[in-house]
Amino acid sequence: MNELVRTYGRGLTSVFVLLTAAWVLGLIVVPQLRMIERAFIVDQRGDEAALVATEIERAYARVFAIDQDLLRAADGAAAPPAPSPFTPSPTAPSPFAPSPSAGGSAGGSGDPGRIAGLEAEKAEARARIVELEAREAEIQAADRTTYALGNFTGMSRIHAWIFVSTLFYALCVTVLSFLACYPVAYAVATARRGERVALLMLGLVIPYAINELLRIFSWVMILEKQGILNGVLDALGLIDMAAGEGVRFVASNGAVFVVMVYAYILFMVFPIYNTIETLDRNQIEAARDLGASAWRIHWRVVLPHAKPGIAVGAVMTFMLSAGSIAAPEIVGRGLHPDWFSQVIYRRFFESSNWNQGSAYALVLLVACVVFVLVVMKLFRVGIRDIAK
Amino acid sequence: MDGNDVALTGVSMRFGDFTAVHPTDLTIGPGEFFSILGPSGCGKTTILRMISGFLDPSSGDIAIGGRSMAGIGPNRRPTALIFQNLALFPLMTVWENVAFGLEARGVALAERKRRADELLALVALDGQGGKKPTELSGGQRQRVAVARALAVEPAVLLLDEPLSALDLKLRQHMRAELKDIQRRTGVTFIYITHDQGEALTMSDRIAVMNAGRVEQVGTGDDIYDTPASPFVATFVGEQNMFQGRVASVSGGTAVVDTPLGPLHGVARGGLAAGDQALVFVRPERVGLVEADDGEAVNRVDAEVERRDLEGSFVNLFLRAGEQRISVHLTNAGTGRDVVSGRRRIGFRPTDAVVMGVGEVARE
Repeated sequence: MNELVRTYGRGLTSVFVLLTAAWVLGLIVVPQLRMIERAFIVDQRGDEAALVATEIERAYARVFAIDQDLLRAADGAAAPPAPSPFTPSPTAPSPFAPSPSAGGSAGGSGDPGRIAGLEAEKAEARARIVELEAREAEIQAADRTTYALGNFTGMSRIHAWIFVSTLFYALCVTVLSFLACYPVAYAVATARRGERVALLMLGLVIPYAINELLRIFSWVMILEKQGILNGVLDALGLIDMAAGEGVRFVASNGAVFVVMVYAYILFMVFPIYNTIETLDRNQIEAARDLGASAWRIHWRVVLPHAKPGIAVGAVMTFMLSAGSIAAPEIVGRGLHPDWFSQVIYRRFFESSNWNQGSAYALVLLVACVVFVLVVMKLFRVGIRDIAK
Repeated sequence: MDGNDVALTGVSMRFGDFTAVHPTDLTIGPGEFFSILGPSGCGKTTILRMISGFLDPSSGDIAIGGRSMAGIGPNRRPTALIFQNLALFPLMTVWENVAFGLEARGVALAERKRRADELLALVALDGQGGKKPTELSGGQRQRVAVARALAVEPAVLLLDEPLSALDLKLRQHMRAELKDIQRRTGVTFIYITHDQGEALTMSDRIAVMNAGRVEQVGTGDDIYDTPASPFVATFVGEQNMFQGRVASVSGGTAVVDTPLGPLHGVARGGLAAGDQALVFVRPERVGLVEADDGEAVNRVDAEVERRDLEGSFVNLFLRAGEQRISVHLTNAGTGRDVVSGRRRIGFRPTDAVVMGVGEVARE
């Protein structure tokens, strides 16, 4: 701290400290604590509470629909119908416009009576919302918050199985990733000429300037039943696409693995590359001179040296793939075994059960951390080695 | 363990347009301690890497024990290399390092351990096998590298300036030790160095290299006393060098006219009257003489500029006109050699070497 003050002065230092504190508290500590708290609150969701919640949702949707109708009515009164893609014309109803309300025709006439009717309907809906929300508050006040383990213990057997499978899948991705990345990292690290290193770096780095989703979609295009890979097989005469033959590569765990390995290749290549680069090349030559085969040189000299880098790469790849939602969702299309991240997503956004979602997310986080620590212990890699 | 002979026939190495080693013939006898001496960049390491198999010669052939090594990789040659930085495996223990070559050959664990202990005893490191190389001193690491290389029972041991990282005392100690190990094992040693002291003290024979060419091969005495070229004369040991023109050559003795007068010396190479020539004489072969010693050959009057006490030697630096002359006198004690002013120096014609002009080593 004194060092900072001496280097940057009081003003800048306090800005740094405040920004860091805001970041740590606002973006890490508080959300985590909130998630953990929610994970331990069991949402009872009695019948009435659920009904009221649904009613409130419906009432809000109704208000929104009326607002849209009002807008259109006012619009039709103010401006003559013009063929613009941005203003829905009465002759060609836009697909984006909400369906006409029951109250009247979809005509764009500035009918004052119709507007008044809509306003009345809206006021009624708003009143209903106020009433319902009061009831909801009453229910919640009666239902006192208690901490319990229900969100965890209530996990169904299917979800538990998906959870275990996901850890296994993530492990598969990590191992595949290592197998693909180690030779690449070794080749780049031991390449003699600066040009070759630059070329390989560009080959690896430039694809990563493209958005992750686009990269996933491009894989879907390759693996699709009507996709590029089957097209190549067809061109080679191995299958006949016209006759409907072709392998559906997508929506299988294999496809998900391939896409993930590709998505996280950099996280594995760079740590390994960094450690191999620090290996004294003379050691490789010495081992060779002493009669060691290529396999033994890697097993006894290069791999032990690269272990911390492999550990970093494996931890990152494992954590990222265990928590990945985009790849299984887009490549898998619900037709392949679920990943736990998808289950969490559905807890949050389909079942609207944030508390259970939080609990599941917490379980995944803890499991991943424990798993990583165990693996590090097994491979005798310390946190210190990784920090290097 | 028995050493093999190594024969290089017309071996050269080119990297693109650059010729690192010009076609070279060398024959190294079995069990010989052979040094290749030269400044950095002279091609000596390239020759070593070609013998060990890490580089393929651009032309020519290398044979070890009469067998051509063309197309044989470093892991299948009867050679072992000791690297300049030793390249010990830092994550393995000392004994694992020593036994690595045996491990690569599929020797069983118990036998590996036994052999490692034997070799560690040979290099006086008994009981240190369980340590990591980083826990050893520089000299001990050196000996581990020797033991590791000897473990594969090579016919030829190649050493790439392995002593350069050690301090002076340890270096001198290790010289004697390496020589001793070589004598006891009978393995052919090929030793690369830029340090003439190492080459002279240890080697049976020395090859002096410059700019990709071997300039002279011979025993230490040959190299020191009868250098074949101005480069060898100046690279090995210290020299006084006088420039002039050959006045006459007769019976192996040349007389050279220099700004300090005629100097007599042993003629080397084809010299004829009128040629530009260099006269070399070692500082320790030059002495102070009385002005009236009656001898007229190779006498120069010079001004004493400085006296350096070096211990067993006292070095005098004199100047005669533009010519600087250094004289090494054995330390006779009690400062008897403290001299100043104008003195006469002299040397015997048999101690001086006369050669045609050529490249000399940079200081």
